[in-house]
Amino acid sequence: MAATMKLGTLGHAASMLSTGLLDEQFQKLLLLQDGSDPNFVAETITLFCEDGERTIGELTKQLDKRCVNFDEVAAFVHKLEGGSATVGAQRVKNTCIQFLEFCKEKSRDGCLKTLDTLRVVFYDVSGKFKAMLQLEQQQAEATK
Amino acid sequence: MTSYVEGSPVKALIVEDMAVDTLVLSTMLRKFHCEIIVAKNGKEAVQMFLEGKKFDIIFCDKDMPVMSGPEAIEKIHALGETHVKIVGVSASDNAQEAFMSAGADEFVPKPMKLDVVRAMIQEVINKKTNDMV
Repeated sequence: MAATMKLGTLGHAASMLSTGLLDEQFQKLLLLQDGSDPNFVAETITLFCEDGERTIGELTKQLDKRCVNFDEVAAFVHKLEGGSATVGAQRVKNTCIQFLEFCKEKSRDGCLKTLDTLRVVFYDVSGKFKAMLQLEQQQAEATK
Repeated sequence: MTSYVEGSPVKALIVEDMAVDTLVLSTMLRKFHCEIIVAKNGKEAVQMFLEGKKFDIIFCDKDMPVMSGPEAIEKIHALGETHVKIVGVSASDNAQEAFMSAGADEFVPKPMKLDVVRAMIQEVINKKTNDMV
């Protein structure tokens, strides 16, 4: 685990790993952080949360249209799938895979239902990520 | 990792519209002392070649606004840029075929692994060293 991350933060991450919210890819991200990139994990998960929120907004708009373009919907889902695979957000990634099946079937109802699931799963992981970052920041302030 | 010429880093172009993926790949490439340029879509990448920029390796996403990765790869080859190693990168199941049909040298699924990136950079270094001999 990265020596630059505080114990409390690592504990938080371990809890997310044990519940299946994150997979081993997140552990690999932690290993990328070092003295030359001390804020790497914080920046990565911040970007994931921002990109993910934007993508979910776009998916909502796309599925709200009278005539849904399932190729466009799938393209947005692929983006979120890629981002979630990159940070190790396993449940988000798996939900995206289910979503893509409904896109292939051109099932609006299936897509809408999966979007609801995606929102829940995404905001669960992004909420926990934000809590982890806040904890990291508080601990950094405390040791100054 | 050996450098082919002291003070001459591997020039890498990342073609990616998702900031999180760009950050992670950039961080990996920095560990191998690569010089990194980022294009946010295929059109920006092609424009760089039109401006005369040279790269040793390109990491290219598939689905991007304005111009996709495979389309950009076809245009880059059409410009005569065949020396640069082109790596297609995607989380999509059907991406490999699209990339290889477009002329990519390799396909790597997301998430990218540090060992895989290391091996690719070393391959580029070895090739540059051999070309110089």
